[in-house]
Amino acid sequence: MAKVVVDAMAMQRALTRITYEIIERNKGVDDLVILGIKTRGVYLARRIASRLQQLENVTVPVGDLDVTPYRDDIEHDAQGEPEVTATNMDFSVAGKKVILVDDVLYTGRTIRAAMSAVMDLGRPKSINLAVLVDRGHRELPIRADFVGKNIPSSQRERIKVSVSEIDDRDAVEIQQA
Amino acid sequence: MAKRYLILEDGSAYAGEGFGAGATTSGEVISNLNLLGYQETITDQIYHNQIIIFAQPAIGNVGINHDSYESILPTAKGMVVRDVTNISTNRLSRLSLDEFLQQHNIPGISGIDTRHLIRKLRQEDGPMKGSIVDVADAHAFDQLNATVLTNRQVDQVATPKPYPNPDTGKNVVVIDFGLKHGILRQLSERRCNVTVLPWTASAQDVLNLDPDGVLLSTGPGSPLDLGEGVLDMIREVQAEIPLFAIGLGHELFALANGAELTMLPVEYHGSSHPIRRIITNDIIYATQGQGYAVVAKSIDRDRLITTYVDLINGTVQGLRHRDFPAFSVQFFADGAPGPHESRDLFDEFMEAMTARREG
Repeated sequence: MAKVVVDAMAMQRALTRITYEIIERNKGVDDLVILGIKTRGVYLARRIASRLQQLENVTVPVGDLDVTPYRDDIEHDAQGEPEVTATNMDFSVAGKKVILVDDVLYTGRTIRAAMSAVMDLGRPKSINLAVLVDRGHRELPIRADFVGKNIPSSQRERIKVSVSEIDDRDAVEIQQA
Repeated sequence: MAKRYLILEDGSAYAGEGFGAGATTSGEVISNLNLLGYQETITDQIYHNQIIIFAQPAIGNVGINHDSYESILPTAKGMVVRDVTNISTNRLSRLSLDEFLQQHNIPGISGIDTRHLIRKLRQEDGPMKGSIVDVADAHAFDQLNATVLTNRQVDQVATPKPYPNPDTGKNVVVIDFGLKHGILRQLSERRCNVTVLPWTASAQDVLNLDPDGVLLSTGPGSPLDLGEGVLDMIREVQAEIPLFAIGLGHELFALANGAELTMLPVEYHGSSHPIRRIITNDIIYATQGQGYAVVAKSIDRDRLITTYVDLINGTVQGLRHRDFPAFSVQFFADGAPGPHESRDLFDEFMEAMTARREG
């Protein structure tokens, strides 16, 4: 049984608000780079970048990070940590204000891996995190700077984010396990 | 029906038939190009002291109903229409337009070539006074020319005292400059616990209520006549609390943040202009009603971002502060009457309040 908690309009608004909050927090878009975490974070990152482009008429570099499959519907064992297996960016992060973008923030382990990977590539001025959904249940001291929607959830539930670029629509659903 | 006249300060007179009240009134003559929503229009306080010409040729055909009041006591000075219809088949209708206007002592005049009149007014380069009179003689024109229209419109229509519109959700303070009820309806739909404050409220008055958000309402007249106090209030409040401003509120928000305003040669009231939402590069339609516009060149880009623009006349239709969750739109986001597609600005406001409290 799936329940839509964020519909297409609400998702558009959430990304719009996150975009404005990024401008507010960073006093503009200078030195900003956006990194999307695969798979859906990449599309969200591009949408934020295109909004910044519309508003500020500035092209903000967008890259992506591929983190080993680590899905919240699969029971993860305590031994395995997600790792960044590929990065796709044609710019340096050194001295930049990095905005990491992911669809769902859960344990925080994916974000930790992404941060390590970014740090290995250079020393950014700062790293901020933007997520469409924060569902709680953190296992690491990680917090998002920009949140589309807080969705308190049970660990048995699955949060499914669909984006129109690769799915049939824009939506966030909760599925009972 | 009695023969009556619409006379204008340029010396022209238009013969028609009276309906509604038999009063003789004077006011600024403006045109409304909306196809729908005459009830919302005549009850909207932005038309305080104005005589409204309707481009839609048949007015009155859905009567007056309880869902479409934008204020309870309309203060428009008259209606000028091509045809007035008193046959209503609308199931909500309890009152005809004619009866409604009689009760509120507002005159109407029908049988006027409204298209010609609107075209003529559009060629003017400033506001035009007019009167609805029984006899269009020299005396009537003298009276009209001697009439001085007030610039204290907000004082006359906005609430002088605070009042609550309670619910169980977010605490929202609405600053009333002559608000449309559509604004309160949209907040009620979102369960907001609203306190309406007079426009003379200080920032301290607002902050004392510990609101989650503050809304600056629509209203009549010139934002330039309201003084510095209200601008100080806006500057102080926007730095603390998410702020959403509509219509006159938008104009004041712009002034408070260093932008300049220009008086439009002819007021624009309609809903047919495509408005570009810049951030997503798409088009929306909304009911618009403005006599002033923000001067695009005067916008300090270090303080404000332009968010919406009218694609027909190029006017700035939306702004957002760079440093705070404070934003404004010139058009009427409550969608009463008219296109509803900008109502999700109220959701944007709700989400800004949530983000502020949770973040």
